[in-house]
Amino acid sequence: MTLTWLGSWTVWAPVLALLAAALRLGIDRGGRGPWTALAPLLVVAPLAIAVQRTLALEPIHALLVAGLVVAILARDRDDLLQSECALKLAWVLGVSIALSWAGTELMAAVTGTRLNLEQWAVLAVPIASSDLWRVALPLSLLGGLVMMGGAPFHFWPADLFQGGRAWAAPLCAAALQVSGAAWIARRLEGIDALPEARLVTIGLLSVTTGVALVVGAATLMQQRRPERRIGTLASLQGTLALVMLLAPRGMPPGWFEHWAAHLVLALTGAGLYSRFLPVADGESGTGGVLFRRHAFSALIGLISGFSLAGVPGTPGGSLWFDAARALAATRHPGLLLLLGVAWLASFSTVMRQWREAAGIPDPPPPPTLAEKPAESEASTAPPVTGVPWQARVALWIASAGVLGLGIVWAIEGR
Amino acid sequence: MAMRGAIEARRRWSAKGVGTALCIAGAALLATPRPLASLLRREDTLALPAAWPIENLALALGLEFIALAFWCWARAAADGPNQVRRWNWLRRPAQAMWLCAAASFLAPAAAPRSAAAQFLPELAAAAVVWAGLELMAALPLARPFSDLSGPLLAVRPWLPALLPAAGFVVLWQTASQWTGSEVVRRVAEALLLLTALLATLRAFGRRQWATALRWLTVSESALAAALIATRTLDPTVTLMLWLGACGGRSFMLAGELRGATPRRGATLSRLWRAAGFTGSSALSWPLLAALIARLPRAVFSLAPVPATLEITITALEIAAAAIAVMLTAYVSVGRVVRATERRSIMRPDPAVTLSHVSALLTLLLGPAALAIAVAIGTHVEWLPTALGLVPALVGGTLAMLGTRGRVPVVTGFETVGGISRRGARDAFHAVTAFERRLVGALSGMARTVLAPLRDLHTGDAQEYLLFLVGLSVLALVLPFLR
Repeated sequence: MTLTWLGSWTVWAPVLALLAAALRLGIDRGGRGPWTALAPLLVVAPLAIAVQRTLALEPIHALLVAGLVVAILARDRDDLLQSECALKLAWVLGVSIALSWAGTELMAAVTGTRLNLEQWAVLAVPIASSDLWRVALPLSLLGGLVMMGGAPFHFWPADLFQGGRAWAAPLCAAALQVSGAAWIARRLEGIDALPEARLVTIGLLSVTTGVALVVGAATLMQQRRPERRIGTLASLQGTLALVMLLAPRGMPPGWFEHWAAHLVLALTGAGLYSRFLPVADGESGTGGVLFRRHAFSALIGLISGFSLAGVPGTPGGSLWFDAARALAATRHPGLLLLLGVAWLASFSTVMRQWREAAGIPDPPPPPTLAEKPAESEASTAPPVTGVPWQARVALWIASAGVLGLGIVWAIEGR
Repeated sequence: MAMRGAIEARRRWSAKGVGTALCIAGAALLATPRPLASLLRREDTLALPAAWPIENLALALGLEFIALAFWCWARAAADGPNQVRRWNWLRRPAQAMWLCAAASFLAPAAAPRSAAAQFLPELAAAAVVWAGLELMAALPLARPFSDLSGPLLAVRPWLPALLPAAGFVVLWQTASQWTGSEVVRRVAEALLLLTALLATLRAFGRRQWATALRWLTVSESALAAALIATRTLDPTVTLMLWLGACGGRSFMLAGELRGATPRRGATLSRLWRAAGFTGSSALSWPLLAALIARLPRAVFSLAPVPATLEITITALEIAAAAIAVMLTAYVSVGRVVRATERRSIMRPDPAVTLSHVSALLTLLLGPAALAIAVAIGTHVEWLPTALGLVPALVGGTLAMLGTRGRVPVVTGFETVGGISRRGARDAFHAVTAFERRLVGALSGMARTVLAPLRDLHTGDAQEYLLFLVGLSVLALVLPFLR
């Protein structure tokens, strides 16, 4: 048995994400002893496996991932934000998967087979009206589109990053998006055999991609919470995968695995990072604790966000450019223009975000005699603490992972 | 208390150091994108592919570094929030340059004869012009920046002069990229000439010499970039002309910060007056000649409607350039007033100072560049060339009449000067106020369109469910409605 898979970043990326999640768990559940504190890792581990499996995922796995994510979010009923997020996801994922299932069953009923390749072959024989399969095909894609998180379904990644736990949110988002992309890729297998169906799909995906890019860019420019910005960047990553599914020559081999590995690592880093950033109040605020107390870690932590936004030179940048190249090769420059708008919005948002995070050092004026606290007050005041070391190590791990991806891709000549 | 002071001083020092290092790195990247690109493409270094737009990437990185330097200085300034808000816009030119690099990177991947293959080079040209124009205050988004001082205390009045210079360098380095697109080139030319006019009006209207010098830098950078747009001269000659004009202004501005050294003594004042006039006239002469030479070609064109439009545009451009050149010559000659000596005992200065040498260099650089242009075979049409010199001569003569011996030769000249200065100020304010209103109206319209979309979205869980159901019903119904 060969062990070369151990050297693959598709394996190491989820492992590093799990490691970062473990460190973050150590902060959240610090008082419970190491084994009890780290027990939730057993629950998120299947999500990491889902990210690693990428295109091998079946629709049933997507269903399981969705169920697991909702269960993780719904566990703590006292946390209102998290519970609301669980409710929204349960409703939307539940309904979309049900509709997709209905679409798949309709296709099976129309064609008399459940195998994709056979379905296209049957539909190629023009013996009946095409109305039914034209309805069934878009419906069967709906579940995947919702799970990929592109607008108009872009609300869930932002909700997840704002409401979910910092250790769980990145893995949940990445697993759902990877499952969604695998769902659509699997549904479209062999579609070239039926050009009519390919045209229907291209029309649907083009509109969806265009809307996702425009709405994603507009949303990014409006958002003020760093967690929600990361969520919208995640939704734009889902849109990149959609763009690649649209590519006339198909997705380049290995692209999907690279995308998944990058997604999980960059979301882990950026998701953790966003928890220590201030809510945007213009670039003249005083900045966040991470930059004030741990400037070097803060600078290292920037890498993940930059990579998500496609800043040139980062591994995420190469994914954005792959998508742009795929669109440039088509004869529709409209989507390419929209991709450019979304890229500009992402780029300027992460640049603005880090400036807001660094803020303006504005030390308070020295206390006058009248304002000076009494000795007893001074001693009981809580000490000023920085960012816990576990969180900083987790940031370093995620950033190192993203950097490692970049180096490996550069060596591979991607 | 002392410790807090020490920490504060250290913070400011480190911001100053980091900002300065970034600014130097940025300027170096702007100055040397081509050598850097050839170095990185060599087999014994990184051997980067020739299709990669390393020149554009270097320029984008350079602009990003300069924006970052301004931000570093601004956040450490005593009025940090104000300074940060004031220089925030500097990210936009950098962003535009990144867009240009991205478009250049994608262009080879476009399908042959597709819309993308035509659109990507145009996009790259538009983006690079956006970056250059915004740095030269040629777009209404950040037009009046030269009125304000920079964020670094030590060189506060000098620093904004760096930005139009950066803008010119960007346009000069990428000249082949943006002058290839006819639409972009003509739009850029018109905007640059309008900017030159507005900047000169502002320089003429402001009493403060340092501010006037900053606006002259903007005006001359715009004229030099317009010269690139006309594709009249060899790029190296254009660079020399720009160096002769703007280099002198930058030195004078730096000298103003060190006790107004360029205006100390009668000889030095006269020398700088001559240098400023010669530098700006040498720069504007070929530009005006090229614009004037274009007029007969448009008049005798066979296409009636485009020719009328071309004549109108060219006439307006000539008028804008002529007024700008005349006022620049006037300010260059008339405003260099010998600084009064307030010390009772004069400091023994050497006979030839750095200021003398710089003035001489400035004086010689412009004519030398024009001589080179003639020597390398630039086509010269004598009538447009002769007419091109007139505005500068008129401006210089009027200034001489107004300032010689501080006695007005023409009675009532001072009154006319005061009125015209006020007129210049009002014209500048009127144009910038109109532009601000236009930008405000456009952003207001965008907000009006987006506001209902935001109001529709409540964020409730039910809303998402209803939306999804609605979308699915639509997906079901649409195919039947075909």
